[in-house]
Formats: sequence, C-alpha cells, structure tokens
Amino acid sequence: MADNILEVSDLKKHFVVRKGIFPGMSEKQNIPAVDGISFSIKKGETLGLVGESGCGKTTTGKAIMGLNDITSGAITFNGNQIANLTAKEFKPYRKDIQMIFQDLDAALNPKMQIGDLIKEAVVVHDPGLSKEEIQQKVLKLLDLVNLKKSQISNYPTELSGGEKRRVGLARTLAMEPKFIVADEPTSALDVSIQAQVVNLLLDLQQKLDLTFLFISHDLPLVELVSHNVGVMYLGKIVEMGPSAKVAKQPRHPYTAILWSSIVGGDTSRGLKEDARSTADWQVYDHSSTSRGCKFAPRCPVFAAKAEPSECSSVMPVLSDAGDGHLVACHFPLNN
Amino acid sequence: MSTNPLIKIEDLHTFFYSKAKQAFIRAVDGISMEVPRGKTLGIVGESGSGKSITMMSVLGLISAGPGVIRGKVIYDNGRIKKNLLQGLDDFVDLQEHDGTIMQVDKDLYGWQQHSEQLMKNIRGNEISIIFQNPKAAFNPFTVIGEQIAEMVLLHTRINDPVAAKAKALYWLERVKMDAPEVRYYNYPGALSGGMAQRAMVAMALASEPALLIADEPTTGLDATIQAKVLQLLAEIKADLGITIMIISHDIGVISSLSDYVAVMYGGTVLEYGSAKDVLSTAYEKKHPYAKALLASIPGLENIEKNGARLKAIKGEVLDTIRVVEGCKFASRCDCMTDSVKHKCNTQQPPLEDIGGGHKIRCWLYQ
Amino acid sequence: MKIKYIQHTKDVSQYSELSLLKRSDKTDVVFVGYGLFILSMVLISYLLGVLGWLPFTADDMDMDLMMALPGTGSHILGTDFLGRDMLTRLILGIQAYFLPGLLAIVVALGLGTFMGVLSGYRGGYAETVITYINNVTDSLPRLVLILLVVAAFKPDIYIIMFVVGLTNAPAVASLVKDKITFLKQKNFLEASVALGLSTRTIIFKHILWYNCRTLLIIQATLGMAEAILIETSLSYLGFGVQEPTPSWGNMIQAGANYMMRGDFWPSTAPALAILLTVLGFHLLGDGLNNILEGKRRK
Repeated sequence: MADNILEVSDLKKHFVVRKGIFPGMSEKQNIPAVDGISFSIKKGETLGLVGESGCGKTTTGKAIMGLNDITSGAITFNGNQIANLTAKEFKPYRKDIQMIFQDLDAALNPKMQIGDLIKEAVVVHDPGLSKEEIQQKVLKLLDLVNLKKSQISNYPTELSGGEKRRVGLARTLAMEPKFIVADEPTSALDVSIQAQVVNLLLDLQQKLDLTFLFISHDLPLVELVSHNVGVMYLGKIVEMGPSAKVAKQPRHPYTAILWSSIVGGDTSRGLKEDARSTADWQVYDHSSTSRGCKFAPRCPVFAAKAEPSECSSVMPVLSDAGDGHLVACHFPLNN
Repeated sequence: MSTNPLIKIEDLHTFFYSKAKQAFIRAVDGISMEVPRGKTLGIVGESGSGKSITMMSVLGLISAGPGVIRGKVIYDNGRIKKNLLQGLDDFVDLQEHDGTIMQVDKDLYGWQQHSEQLMKNIRGNEISIIFQNPKAAFNPFTVIGEQIAEMVLLHTRINDPVAAKAKALYWLERVKMDAPEVRYYNYPGALSGGMAQRAMVAMALASEPALLIADEPTTGLDATIQAKVLQLLAEIKADLGITIMIISHDIGVISSLSDYVAVMYGGTVLEYGSAKDVLSTAYEKKHPYAKALLASIPGLENIEKNGARLKAIKGEVLDTIRVVEGCKFASRCDCMTDSVKHKCNTQQPPLEDIGGGHKIRCWLYQ
Repeated sequence: MKIKYIQHTKDVSQYSELSLLKRSDKTDVVFVGYGLFILSMVLISYLLGVLGWLPFTADDMDMDLMMALPGTGSHILGTDFLGRDMLTRLILGIQAYFLPGLLAIVVALGLGTFMGVLSGYRGGYAETVITYINNVTDSLPRLVLILLVVAAFKPDIYIIMFVVGLTNAPAVASLVKDKITFLKQKNFLEASVALGLSTRTIIFKHILWYNCRTLLIIQATLGMAEAILIETSLSYLGFGVQEPTPSWGNMIQAGANYMMRGDFWPSTAPALAILLTVLGFHLLGDGLNNILEGKRRK
C-alpha cells in the first residue's frame, strides 16, 4: 500500500543473556523480547502500542529507530528497508524518524543551556544556516512547543517536568521529522501536565502532518490519541484494531483484564465477572517452554475450561475477527 | 470507644532548608484534616503538593534533616491520647520578616531526642507504613519471613520466637502469598514487584497497628498487579477494621479505597470531603483545581469524544519555594470571576465548610 | 548541637542568580583559594628560575654563612650546609618536577581519556580488557616499577614520569568510564544518536567537553601533587636529580646528614615546601570538585 509510511513485518528481537565469566564457556539464555509482530501505520495516523512492562513495546520502538539491531523480520519506511543498517546507512532516515524518550532528562545534556540544546539540533538538520537564521528557527521552535523566550538561557535542572518534555520535543521537531516514536511521553509527568503535553502532541500532529507510534501502558490515554491500537503481551501482539473497537469491545481476555484493572474507571467493558479476582498475581515468564498461548497461565477463559484445550498446545495466530479487528485467541470474547 | 478521630492534624506547617537554593521550602503550609477511626483518608496531589511530607511529619520522620514542623498532630486511640509534636517548637528559634522565614536556629540533637521520645510506642506499634518501593523496606540479606517475625516480636505481646514465626506465616497467608512456608524463606530479591508489595503489607500489619499509612503503594506496578494490591488493601480494611491513610498522585487509586479525600496543592488542602463527593464529576460544588484535575484524566469517562483533546490545566505545578500571596492555585485557575479576582490574587481563602463536612478553600464559595 | 540556616535573599526566585562563590561552602572556597595561591607561586617561581631572575645561583657558596637561619643577611630563607642560598635552590628545585610532572599529566589524561571513552562508550571487549589492565596496574607497587625502569634505562626523570603517567592512565580511564556509564543511564547519549549527531560530536562535545572537563582538571591537579611526591622520593633515594642540581628530594637527603648536629633547617625547608605545595594541589582538586561537581552527600 502506498499510503503506509511504516510497515513492520514479523519483527523479532531476541536478547541473549550470558551466564558465566568466560565468553566461550558461558551458558546462553534466549529472551524473546519481541517475538514476531507485524503492523503498519498510515501517514498522518497514530498507532498505539499498549502493554505492561516487559512486553516488548519499547524494544519495538528502538528497533524502528535503528537503536537496536533486530534478530529477524523487516521494517520498511516509505518503501525502504531500514532494519539492521549501519549508522552511516541509517543517516538519511534519521531526519524523518525521531523519538520522544520516556526519561524526561533524555536528550538534555544537564550542562547545556536550553537554547544551545535546541540550536544543536537545528544545526545538525541544516548545517548551512547563518547565525541569524538559526536563532530565528530556535525561537520558532520554542514558540511551537509553548515555551517562553526567556527560558533560552535556563539549564535543564531549572525546568519543571513538563518544560523538559517540551524542550525534548523542540529538539525532535527541529529535525522536521515525518514519523515520531513516542515512548511513554507522559508517564513521568504530573496529571495536570500530562493533558497539556498530550494536547500539544495532537496539535502538532494536525499542524505538521506527523505520524506517531505511541507507546504507553495507559490504555485510556492510548485510546484517546490513537487511530489504531495494538495490545502486546510477552513480545506478541494479541489484539489490534481501530481504537474505538479495541476499547469498546475487547475480544482478547488480556485486553479485557487490562480494562477492568483500571482503577476508578468504567469496568463495564471488561469481562462479565470481575476479572480482577481471576487474573493471576503472577506476571510473566519468558522462559516458559509451552508451545501454546503465552497468556494461558493467567487467562480466566482458559481457567474456566476444565478439560485440556488447544490453548496449552497451539499458539494462536493473529486473525481477523471482523472489520479489521485482529485478535490472537482461540476463544475470543463476544461482547 | 470514643468517637474522636484517630488522628487529627491541626494547622501543620513543615518547611525545609534547601542548601542548593539557600532558601526555605514550605513543603506543608498550614493543613488541617482528620482521619476518622476505621475509615480511610486518601490524600491526592501532584508532585510538590506536600502529600508525602505530611505523612512524614505525622510519623516524626522530619527530625533528622534541616526541617521544622509546627502545629498539632493529635493521636487518640482511646487509650493513648497525645500530641505527636508537643514541645518540638522549644528547640527551634525562628526569625520571620514580612511573613518570609529568614533565619532558623535549631537544636538538632535536642529536637531528635524529644521527637524520638514522642514517637516511642507510636511509630511501628500504633502506626505502620507501606512505601512505594517495597524492596527498599526489607533488609536484602535476611529472609522476609524472619523480618516479619522480628516485627511481631518487637511490637506485639508475643515473645516466643516459635509463636512469632507462626504469626508471620499467618500474615503471609493473609496477604494471599502462595505457599507461605516457602515464601517465608525467600530473600527480598527473589520476589517479583507484586509479591514484594504483599510481603511489605504483611510486615506492616505484623505489628497490628491502629493506623496504616500507604505512601504511593502501587506506583510503578503494572495495571493488573496494581488492581490486585488495591483489592487486597480493601479486603484487609474490611476484615481488620484498620484505619488507613493512603497517599497517591493517582486519583483512580485514591477513589478505589478512600472514604474521605483531601486534595492537596502547593502544601495546602484545597478540598476535603467524602470521596463520593470530591471525586465525582457529577457533584457540582468543587474546587476549580479538583474539577480541572478530574477533567484532565483520560479514562474517567470525561474525554471530550471525537474532539479528541483533553481538558488541560494551564501553567506549571507550583514551586513551593516562592511565597504566594493569595490563593495557591490562582495563577492556573480558569474559574476566577471578576468579583473575586482581586481577593484570589491577594488573600489566601480559608478552608470553609460548605455543608455536610465538605470543605473547600476557594473564594467562590465564601 | 546547634545548627543555623539563613535565607540570603527575600526574593527567592533569584536564587539561581546567586554567584557560584556565594552558593559554595566557605571551607571549599578557602581550600581553592589556598590551592590557587600555591599554584601561582609555583608558576611564578618556575618562570623566575627559567629566566634566571634570582639573587644567587644554585652553586654560589657563602663560606661565612653556612647553616644560616632565615633572614640572615641577604638570604631570605637562609643557607644550607655549603652556604648556598636556600630560596634560590628551592625555586630551582621546582624545575626538577614541573615539566616532567606536566608530561606525566598529559600522558595520564590523554591515554586515560582515550581508554575511558573506548571502554565506556564502545563497551564490549574493550571494557573487559581495560578493566583488567586497571586491576593489574592497581596491584603493582608503583615505586618498584619505577625502580625497574630506572635500572633498565638511566635515571632520567622524563622517562620515569612517562611511566608514572602510564600507570596513572587506567585510574583516569575508570573515572571517565564511570562518568560515561552514568551519562548513559540518563540516556541522553542514546537520544543524541537518535537525533543524528555524529559520534565525534557526541564524544568530544557532549561527553568530554560538557561533562568530563572538571573531572579532568581535578585529575590534573592531583597528578601534579603525585608527580612532586614521586620526584622527591626518587631524588631522596638518589635515583632522580643528582647533586649539585637542586631538587627538593636531594635537598632533604643532603640536609638530613646534619640533622643530628642540630642543624635542622637545610632539610626542613624543602620538606615544608613539599608539604605546603602537595597540600595546595590536593586542596585545590578537592575544593574544585566540591564547588563545581557538587558535594557528595551521604
């Protein structure tokens, strides 16, 4: 499809953890952080990736950014293969693909002034500018992210969380990217500031025709900002579809549990019974050797079925459950 | 049983000296609230609102540093009734200039001695605490069971190690640890986040306290585990009739447990009332800050659908170093009407009861 | 224990405009002041010595005034056992360690920074190898190594100081590496890569210039202090600068022979010079560290 700005197909990233001192004699353990995921994003749209810590959503984002090599699979950006490139080969795409990091201090050298930090990005993007043009562009960027002119000589430590986030954003925007990986952009912010930053991102998307991969653990937030949502569990996408569908009628039991776990929120769209009591305390185990569904040990649907089912022997595949709503479950919920 | 609140905080002020900034930080700036016996008080606020400092002041944990606490914290469990801050002021000499603290002389040693004396038989025995980071609360080189048993020996009437172990196992089971006999011999490092949190709840309960303080008990946990921890706390509250003070930045967490809620901002309580009223968007009489805060959270059924924007609060979270004349929220407030505008900017409104014990600190309701 | 806290300005919004001097601990300021005084004394004295603007030469003997105490005649700091002017010899003694010390500093900082960046930024095998080298040099007795070098070559102070620089490099490397590891945790380095900055810009501008410069300056002052101690110990043992060329080490050694007779001054003066100078460089390093990097609190 021509209008897909980014396509990821069967992306795998396995980390190898060595145990032991000597390289030759050590035991290797394979951790499949991302285990065969596929998705595509249309230009100007947002795909939300949601899941709990350790599900592989950040690893996916870094692989797209070229910060991680991948084990297998393909990442195509505007029709070009961008996975496993060397730094030099990746350079032409750097300007188009940018990332917002979860850590507020990321991107901000603590010993540099705000103005210099933004200036640096401007110069990298366009080395031929004159001093005045650079200055003007810095001011324009500050304005774009709602920062005050007077803050140009502040150091990062003198700023509040929301302001730091906006400086990082200004640096990102200096590159005039087409595609932004936003990794938990608001998780370190106060509630009242979170809304400001989310609104700013949405405004910028409209104004600059940006495409986002929005990574977060916050389901309601992802629902709000995304056109499509993918739910990840242990390196796999278990459910994907238009955000309204995933939010209103979750088909995978895990998505339903995520919704019902949101405290203080509306629990009506979860499972019929209270999923909190059935979902196990246990979190994850990458070392499980089961060939079946990875979610089975925590799954209330599986637990309700007394006799052995295919859940424990066959890995479910992501398949269309109608209207572009994909789900990887042998017994999807019917809401 | 008397009907007095278990803890009553009156006009509490806590400030620190920041060496880096050479200035006094008013972390808590005159708060009053009470925790009724057997109920749960939730304190909600953003970073720098003073919610954690309030908790530390109540527990007398401020004494070590260059901090000063003033006001009253009256603890009354029917048998013991005392002011946990009684006489601490004698160790401090304060010089103010136009409402700004310019110099503090503090007898550190005397202050500490006195504070320890006041807290004797209170901290640990009467008040227990659950921290945000459960692993930091355990000694990493001792198995968790022994640490819980130690609490039992130290703070309850049980003096027999065997009985203490049995009691520790009982508490581990109580917090729904699978296979308590096995977990008893686990080191803290071997526990997952959710399990460590439960182990800490068990340790906090082992001294059979009258008041449990939970400081951000689920921050950093995954959503599904957070739900389980909150469910566990709710069950314990129902079973033991324990009084809980829960502190969080997450309104969802607060609303799932609390009977009463205090909304803090810039070291003051802006709104206090029953959880039902304070945290419901349907309830009309509300502090502008609480109203805006509720509206800015996605998932609380108030997203402006399709318009796809959140209702944001303008400006930045208040910096507690600066002295604010007038309402602390004034600079970010959208509800200010022309008739009160002058007052909002010059005079701090009092925390006024607007009926039914619902208190709001706002000129709009005076 | 009484403690006192003072808020200097009423308008606390200006706290960040307070000068570095005012925000710093007073003792640190005193330390740095003393250190700078010593540093400038050393520099001035070195220049005086090089230009030859001295009242006497190193070998001028005043046979009538041997073992003179300070203030005797035109000898401000007195004379030694051969009637040579103490001040002149102390000043000329600086030449024994100054340039060699600079060599040691340059070698230690240059090589150490290179190794540190290699192991901290690249990681992998380079990190393992450099860690092992660090462990090996840490466990070698420094003086024995230097004596080995002296035995193998001739007692040339420049070769010795080159070796001192080499053995100091791993320590600098581990400091730089730790700093980079710390910076990596804040992951702005990763963000810089994502922004498309070249590796050279990241290493030289972001790591070395903005975040390692104070560390390196402090290491340089400590390196000078160490160079003084090593040069003087070697000269004292007779392996360094040889009589009649003055060095603080051989001055102590030569003067020590007369200590028993009650003439303490000829060896005490250079000893005091070492004490005050080394102390100065150490305090300078420490104070700068506290002021610029912020004190490590418990």
